[in-house]
Amino acid sequence: MQAKFQMSSELKTELDKIVSQYETKQAALLPVLNLAQEKYGSISPEIESWVADYLQLPLMKVREVVSFYTLFHAEQKGKHHFQMCRNMSCMLRGCEEMIEYLKERLKLEDGQTSQDRCFSLSTVECLAACEMAPMMQLNDRYVGPLTKESIDQILKEIEINN
Amino acid sequence: MPILKIDGKDIEVPVGTSIIEAAKKAGIEIPHYCYHPGLSVAGNCRMCLVEVEKFPKLQISCYTPVTEGMVVHTQSERVKDAQQAVLEFLLVNHPLDCPVCDQSGECELQNYYMKYGLYDSRLMEDKVKKHKAVSIGPTVMLDGERCVLCSRCVRFCDEVTHTHEMGIVNRGDRAEIEVAPGKEVDNDYSGNVVDICPVGALTDKDFRFKCRVWFLAQTPSVCPGCSRGCNIEIHWNKERPYQTPGERVMRLKPRFNADVNKFWICDEGRYNYHWIDQGRLLKPMQKRRGVPHEVSWEEAFGTLSGLFLRPQEMGVIVSTDMTNGDLAMAQQLFVSELKVKNVAYQWIRKSGKEDELLMKADKTPNTRGAQALGFEDRSGEIYEQIEKGQIKILFLFGHNLMEILGKDQAEKMRSHLETLVILGPHAHEGINLADWALPSAVYAEKNGTFTNFEGRVQKISKAFPPMGMAKSEREILKEMARQAGIHINLTV
Repeated sequence: MQAKFQMSSELKTELDKIVSQYETKQAALLPVLNLAQEKYGSISPEIESWVADYLQLPLMKVREVVSFYTLFHAEQKGKHHFQMCRNMSCMLRGCEEMIEYLKERLKLEDGQTSQDRCFSLSTVECLAACEMAPMMQLNDRYVGPLTKESIDQILKEIEINN
Repeated sequence: MPILKIDGKDIEVPVGTSIIEAAKKAGIEIPHYCYHPGLSVAGNCRMCLVEVEKFPKLQISCYTPVTEGMVVHTQSERVKDAQQAVLEFLLVNHPLDCPVCDQSGECELQNYYMKYGLYDSRLMEDKVKKHKAVSIGPTVMLDGERCVLCSRCVRFCDEVTHTHEMGIVNRGDRAEIEVAPGKEVDNDYSGNVVDICPVGALTDKDFRFKCRVWFLAQTPSVCPGCSRGCNIEIHWNKERPYQTPGERVMRLKPRFNADVNKFWICDEGRYNYHWIDQGRLLKPMQKRRGVPHEVSWEEAFGTLSGLFLRPQEMGVIVSTDMTNGDLAMAQQLFVSELKVKNVAYQWIRKSGKEDELLMKADKTPNTRGAQALGFEDRSGEIYEQIEKGQIKILFLFGHNLMEILGKDQAEKMRSHLETLVILGPHAHEGINLADWALPSAVYAEKNGTFTNFEGRVQKISKAFPPMGMAKSEREILKEMARQAGIHINLTV
């Protein structure tokens, strides 16, 4: 048996504050998961069950939510996480070509992280920014409409800042 | 109570009734997958769409309450189109593996396709692959590809057993049923998720691949597994007996009874049937010089009726597994006619698992019935009198003395008796003690009633004839009595 996961006490205080803003504990599930992922980089099965205990929810309810949203992930992502939208508007505006191009540039497949943990590539469901289709979320930033040129530009910037 | 019109029929139902329930009351079938009257409404399958006049869009009939003067159409062109479209969606990623699917023949995808589908496939794409033949618990197998994500099983685990083992993970066409890692669907009612699964996603490990469902016959009965008396159906292999040699009962299924078990039965009851066809005593046996010999019923009746001349030396221990009819016959013969003083029931299996849903601690079906007929739990006194030599003849119904008293004590008890007559369905080791072993029928082989713990008298029906030469206790006693010149007519 693995040792039981312990949430950091500062984060716990922060989470308590969030939970207190809602009528039911269940309602705080998304913000709690968000904060936990921000702090730990992923939602591991240990964090999942900690959250379930913390919010007094069945483990499967937490799992359902974590697996539904592409913004939660079970494994650690690279420093620069490219989340390419693959939904309707983006697809109509040519996201498939952009995804292929990015795969080629990063030499990564969907869901992979580079060995140096610098880049991760995921395709995700709608990010609610259809006006900038085809678009992606790069860490916390929305970028779009994407072209091969703009992708080149972004990668160049990252290279310079490194 | 609001009166509404469904397909031209006027129907009066209580306030708050859903359209689907109102239609059911009027004998109108509305196809559905996710809706189950024993669970909360999910409204996700969209199969039960109906047209309600003055509503611009089609409505899901499981979630729309009736109102006064509502006019509903379940057969309009719009509804038929919608049903066909919904089915096409549900079947997009469904594997066409009906020939090897255990649900075939009782699958709502098959049934509804033939009734409401009948479209030509337009699918050019590859189907999404998911997990197949995954064991998700001691009783249940999951096939992710066959699932239509109705969430009945998830709701069952949430709302009925409150064990929350199941959930739907992922999203869109990749969504599937899952259990938490390292966890299993391992509760006392897990078999019910298979019953409520409308498709072949969840199948029962105990039943899988044993028999095609269209070869089964269904006989209404009552579970003999505890004093709750859940209503069940015995599903037995009627059409292809040679495919399951020696096994007649294939499975037990719950039968709806609003007052006793609703839609459910526990796993303990569900899988409690293998003994019906196993280890049976097939012929009347008499021990001669220590060796059991097969005898005819006539011989047995002839000799045993002679014992009725000595009622004062007689003891009778009946069992709470017996039906009211069998018990009444024993009561009439031994108590009313022969005036035997030492008649009692032995209460075995009386302290098993009990819960707040269905399971009762008394694992016999008819304790209340035995008590109502005047039997008392005084078997201890009878054993004492045997040891004192006051009782020389013992009629034992169904019990295994070896199990009840232990081997040494049982043999000692035996040595005090002149004649031990055991009537029972099984050839257990305790049978070897008997001078006379008479094969009796099990509950699935006879008509009768059980009285449950609340005093509710419930009917069991004969599914198939008794195995071998077995007869019901009632017939055996009646015939034995007739040979002794005692005529008993029971109308129970």
